Amino acid sequence: MLDRKFFENLGEKGINFFTAVYEIFLLFIDSLKAIPKIWFYRRQLVEQMYNFSAKTLPIAAIISIFVGLGSTVQGTYQSSSLIPRYVVVNVIFKSTVIELSPVILALVLAGKLGASLAAEIGSMKISEQIEALETMSLDPVGFLIMPRVIAGLIMLPVITIFANFLAIFSSFFVSTVVSQWVTAHEFINGLKMDYKSFEIIFGCMVKPSVYGFFIALIGSYFGLKTKGGAKGVGESSTLAVVVSAIMIVIFDYYLGELLL
Amino acid sequence: MIEVRGLKKQFEGKEVLKGVDLEIYDNETLVILGPSGQGKTVMIKSMIRLMEPDGGEIYFDGEDIRKLNRRELEDFRKKIAYVFQNSALFDFLDVRENLALFLRMHKKLKEDEIEEKIVKALSFVGLNDDVLDKYPEELSGGMKKRVAIARAMIKEPKYIFYDEPTTGLDKKNAELVSNLIMVLKEKVSATSIIVTHDIELMEKVSDRVALLKDGKIIFIGKKEEISDETLEYLYSIGDTYEV
Ligand SMILES: Nc1ncnc2c1ncn2[C@@H]1O[C@H](COP(=O)(O)OP(=O)(O)OP(=O)(O)O)[C@@H](O)[C@H]1O
Ligand SMILES: [Mg+2]
Repeated sequence: MLDRKFFENLGEKGINFFTAVYEIFLLFIDSLKAIPKIWFYRRQLVEQMYNFSAKTLPIAAIISIFVGLGSTVQGTYQSSSLIPRYVVVNVIFKSTVIELSPVILALVLAGKLGASLAAEIGSMKISEQIEALETMSLDPVGFLIMPRVIAGLIMLPVITIFANFLAIFSSFFVSTVVSQWVTAHEFINGLKMDYKSFEIIFGCMVKPSVYGFFIALIGSYFGLKTKGGAKGVGESSTLAVVVSAIMIVIFDYYLGELLL
Repeated sequence: MIEVRGLKKQFEGKEVLKGVDLEIYDNETLVILGPSGQGKTVMIKSMIRLMEPDGGEIYFDGEDIRKLNRRELEDFRKKIAYVFQNSALFDFLDVRENLALFLRMHKKLKEDEIEEKIVKALSFVGLNDDVLDKYPEELSGGMKKRVAIARAMIKEPKYIFYDEPTTGLDKKNAELVSNLIMVLKEKVSATSIIVTHDIELMEKVSDRVALLKDGKIIFIGKKEEISDETLEYLYSIGDTYEV
């Protein structure tokens, strides 16, 4: 008896999961369809670009500075005298810029942007504001979702580039000035070693735009699906954060596998 | 003129509208009465496809609303306005931008023309300019409702829908709103459709009255034609709601 209930629940969860994926895909198609009207909704786009950047820069700065410091301390601690120091710098540099900083930043922003997006749209949903948009002959997807998705797509790379600069600088600072583990010259050599611009583009632009896209799309989706009162809004934002965080780590692996 | 025939809507097997028939004439004020939970909101939302009906026909000025695609629906909605039960002001915009939104997005007007229309609409509903920079959360329920009415009139719509415009307001505000509904109808010469269980509002503003019960319109006509029996029933639902 108990077993059966368990499997029924599991089955139901599975079906819910696939309908959600399908509906998120439909929302994506709807947002694509709204792109021709981007000039009509330009105000909303500019507002969202601002929301996605100015409001996240302080967090991004703190995170990236400490990611830079942390990975430098860890890297220098693990290094042995058999490996030239500029090689260690190179390892730290690449792992930070291509992997650590983009992913940690995206996960934190999934929490900040994803949750606030879902809550914002969810509370509009339950207070009839989405329907009010429709009575004003405005398309809720064009007005609310498409600008957010585009803002995520464009602004996450911008934030990540900014963050990576800070991360490298903090790493430079701790290893050359504070611990004087390497000289500035060695550090620069480490950065230059085996430099491939594609890797940098991959870490600073490709990955973040995919993450930004997911954060915005998934946050919007759960916002639009909100039911019930304030409790529903809370559930939506939790789901938005959890699901986009999972998507980020999954795609982190597959993008690396696919493109590198 | 609006014609509704056999309008049906169900939620997960629960039939809320079981075939609503309704004719609404130009420039009249039709008050649709019904107890709470009978599907009044569902009915008017289905009429303009804020909810998708499951069956029936809806004509606005002879145009079959159920056949419109998304773009045509957007165009159609330019001539209607809807005052929501809880006002539904956009909480990310201040009062000025709430009022300006439709004009900004759909009319090619200069900034000062927009401002002029906003101030005019606001003074019409009896509010001062100093609320313009306030956000909806800073307004009382009555003020929100008045801003919502101003937002509706600024569209100069042909049809205005009101969902329980007086519910949740105190006596003074309720009276104010029912006066506004009457004056507004003259001013923009619109057809008004009001759903409510407020009998006083009905007596004050209605040209005709319809009664929604068990998913159907069981009476439509002048308020003088309502039988004593029905009237008693109406008062009883009005009372139960107040408690
Ligand atoms: N989105 C929905 N999903 C499921 N059921 C719904 C939905 N909207 C409305 N209903 C159901 O339809 C019925 C009618 O609801 P409706 O809101 O139209 O009532 P109403 O007459 O407007 O009541 P009130 O006077 O309280 O506003 C209710 O039983 C409600 O549970
Ligand atoms: Mg209602």
